[in-house]
Amino acid sequence: MLTRIILFLFILNAGLRAKDITVSASVDRQRIDLDEVISFMVSIEGTSDFPDVAPPRSDGFVIISGPSQSSSIQIVNGAMSASKTIQWRLAPTRTGAQTIQAIDIKYGRKTYSTQAITVTVNVAQSPAVAASRTPTPGPAPGSPPARSVSSPSDGLFLKAEVPKITVYKGEELPVSFTLYFQNVRNYAPQKLPDAKGFWTELFPEKRNPSVSTETINGVAYKKATLRRLALFPTTTGDLTIDPMQISCEVPAPSQRRRSVFDDFFDDSFFSDPFSGTKTVQIQSEPLKIRVRELPGTGQPAGFSGAVGNYVIESSIDTLQTRQNQALTLRYSISGSGNINSVKLPPLELPSNVEIFEPKVERRVNNQGKSIRGSVTYEYVLIPRTSGRLRIPALNFVFFDPAGGRYQTSTAQGYAVNVNAVDQADFASSAGFRKEEISLLGSDIRFINRDDPHWRPIGSSVFKRVWFWLFNLIALGLVAGSSGFHWWLEKMAGNSLFSRRRRALSRAQQLLKEIQTELGQEQTDAVCGKLDRSLRGFISDRLGLAPSGLGPREIQAALEKHRVDPDLREIVIAILSELEQLRFLPGSLGLEDFERLYERVNELLMKLIKVL
Amino acid sequence: MQRFELFYILLLALIPVLLPAQGAVDFHFQKGNALYLEEQYPEAIQEYEAVLHNGLESAELYYNLGNSYYKAGRLGKAILNYERALKLRPKDDNIRFNLQLSNLRVKDRIDVPPDFFLLRWNRNMVQTLTVRGWARLFTLLLLMTSGVFAIRQMLNLNRFRRLCRSGLLALAIATFLTLLPLLQRYGMEHSRAYGIILQSSTKSLAAPQEGSTELFIVHEGTRVQVLDYDGDWSKTKLIDGKQAWVRSRDLEII
Repeated sequence: MLTRIILFLFILNAGLRAKDITVSASVDRQRIDLDEVISFMVSIEGTSDFPDVAPPRSDGFVIISGPSQSSSIQIVNGAMSASKTIQWRLAPTRTGAQTIQAIDIKYGRKTYSTQAITVTVNVAQSPAVAASRTPTPGPAPGSPPARSVSSPSDGLFLKAEVPKITVYKGEELPVSFTLYFQNVRNYAPQKLPDAKGFWTELFPEKRNPSVSTETINGVAYKKATLRRLALFPTTTGDLTIDPMQISCEVPAPSQRRRSVFDDFFDDSFFSDPFSGTKTVQIQSEPLKIRVRELPGTGQPAGFSGAVGNYVIESSIDTLQTRQNQALTLRYSISGSGNINSVKLPPLELPSNVEIFEPKVERRVNNQGKSIRGSVTYEYVLIPRTSGRLRIPALNFVFFDPAGGRYQTSTAQGYAVNVNAVDQADFASSAGFRKEEISLLGSDIRFINRDDPHWRPIGSSVFKRVWFWLFNLIALGLVAGSSGFHWWLEKMAGNSLFSRRRRALSRAQQLLKEIQTELGQEQTDAVCGKLDRSLRGFISDRLGLAPSGLGPREIQAALEKHRVDPDLREIVIAILSELEQLRFLPGSLGLEDFERLYERVNELLMKLIKVL
Repeated sequence: MQRFELFYILLLALIPVLLPAQGAVDFHFQKGNALYLEEQYPEAIQEYEAVLHNGLESAELYYNLGNSYYKAGRLGKAILNYERALKLRPKDDNIRFNLQLSNLRVKDRIDVPPDFFLLRWNRNMVQTLTVRGWARLFTLLLLMTSGVFAIRQMLNLNRFRRLCRSGLLALAIATFLTLLPLLQRYGMEHSRAYGIILQSSTKSLAAPQEGSTELFIVHEGTRVQVLDYDGDWSKTKLIDGKQAWVRSRDLEII
């Protein structure tokens, strides 16, 4: 069952969607004057859910009102027919044949287009412009605008009214735009007044302005206030409030009817579109306003430019608080004037209070006769230290334009008791971890009374002797052992080197043997050994073959090594002496031998220095 | 009590005669301890500070001084001295405990981002010894290495040659690896990159001049990293990375 219903709904829906619509566009007149207004209508038929329609586009027309819509749904013989009409009021901006472009309307998946419409716009009929203007109070208007403004026959004009034309800078200037009329069917604001050099606040626009009557120059007018503004001058000097422009629909003179529907704001377009109404553009006179500077004399310190009539009040949420606990301090300035330009004077609070950026709230009340409002500053303060926190009274200085003098309103000051935080509260206020909270209850640990290991402040290991000493020792060990190792290697691998190294010790070894033998009568053996030691020493040191080394070869070798000639002489002399002694045994006594031994020993010591 | 004081005065009068400089320092320290026991914290602080005036320091002194400042309610100074004590003796449980407790009372609660575990291991390792300890270890290892090297060079060790070589290699690596924590520890102890705020609330400004934008307020005891100096101003960095200028006299380098 359910599926059937759904299926049915689906089909129905599909059927409705599939339905074609028809769209068409039309105007009420094909020929108009430049000062007239046409109605442009788009009607859609064939659906009840109406698509959106874009406003008409045309170079030669501006939309002065609309869109207004009307729709009707009829069911005849079970068939539903719906239609909707959307209407705009268009005013021409230039003469000639003007085309209102076709409008595309999207419905479902299709796009429907209306036809383009051409309207012929004639030059405005001269009498309407040339006619003398309705007498209006105030200064004479400037050059008459090209388009039709009000004419006496229309019996209507727009007047901008101000209570005074000289104001202080920042003072509120209420401006009301009042329409004086005799018979108006409809009106549409075209241009809101522009006021350069003013801060503008709008009063709410009434749907149905109340109408009263007034007689001007013997002519009875109805009057209705269309719009009210509050202007706050922001600069000084002569300023101008530009005119406001509206377009009104008045009954055409040919068919002026005093109908019972003579209400001011008759919104029904369709009552009789062709009854001969005509549209008139009217504008108010521009207003010249003189803005005075605020009096410089008597301007109190702390004046920040507020003009109006204000009262400042303060409030605080508590007078008893704890350290690190936030409290809220509120200042509220209320009164009449331009509340948007009101600033709170800076707070002067002690430095042990943390102040956060205030929350500022402005309320503007435009319902009454003048602009009123209030601004609230909400400060959050956190006292960081305990004690009495003094919040001084705050003076707010403003200029009262009604009295023409400066006035001061004072907000009450406060003294807040800030209690010190005990540990438990402290823990709850800050984000502590569990183990930290358990620590909070405990006290610090007791002092250390051991004998301290003193060291000079700023002392460093790298300034200590022992550090570098031991490092040098290590370096010496490495270097020394490496050198020793190198020496061992060389001795083992190089015979010349080892002979040279061992030359002296071998020679001395021999001499030692001689010393033990000196006591015995073996002179030839002693001489031979002395000779061998000297000869062997020289050959070892010079790397020569020991055999066949005669005095001549030794002489040559010594000469080659640039040994001192005197020393050479001694060497040769001793060697030849020893040679002789070897073959003359027993020729020398013990003392002579000892002398000879000493001479050889001496010679060795000399030679080791030069060889 | 009066007798006690008289005793002190007598001792004080005798000090220059009896004791060398080291002894005077010890006396100040002992007297400071006694005054702390008597809960005369400001006087104890004076005694301990006198030791520092003599140019000597020790972890015990900084610890006791920190305690005295804590008891006297000067949180910033207390934390400063605990940090200094910790520099000399980073593993000391009492110092760490008191520092932690003091830090709880600091108004600025800045969450420290957790370190990478390798960094943490490294720091723990480096902190096991002081600079002196590391230097001793380094020297010992260096001597051993060079000794083994020398023996190997000079003696003919046919049978132990291989063993000797691997031992030497191990010792050389160990020596080199000791050098790294030594230098790190040296850097830690002699670092002047951190300071403690001493004023109860210090404005941190955007530029090193009076009247520039105030960025935030730091409170007494907050540890900051000092990046730069400009006249009377120090550029500081909080643990969470916020940077600002504070007056140099409002903080003291650890």
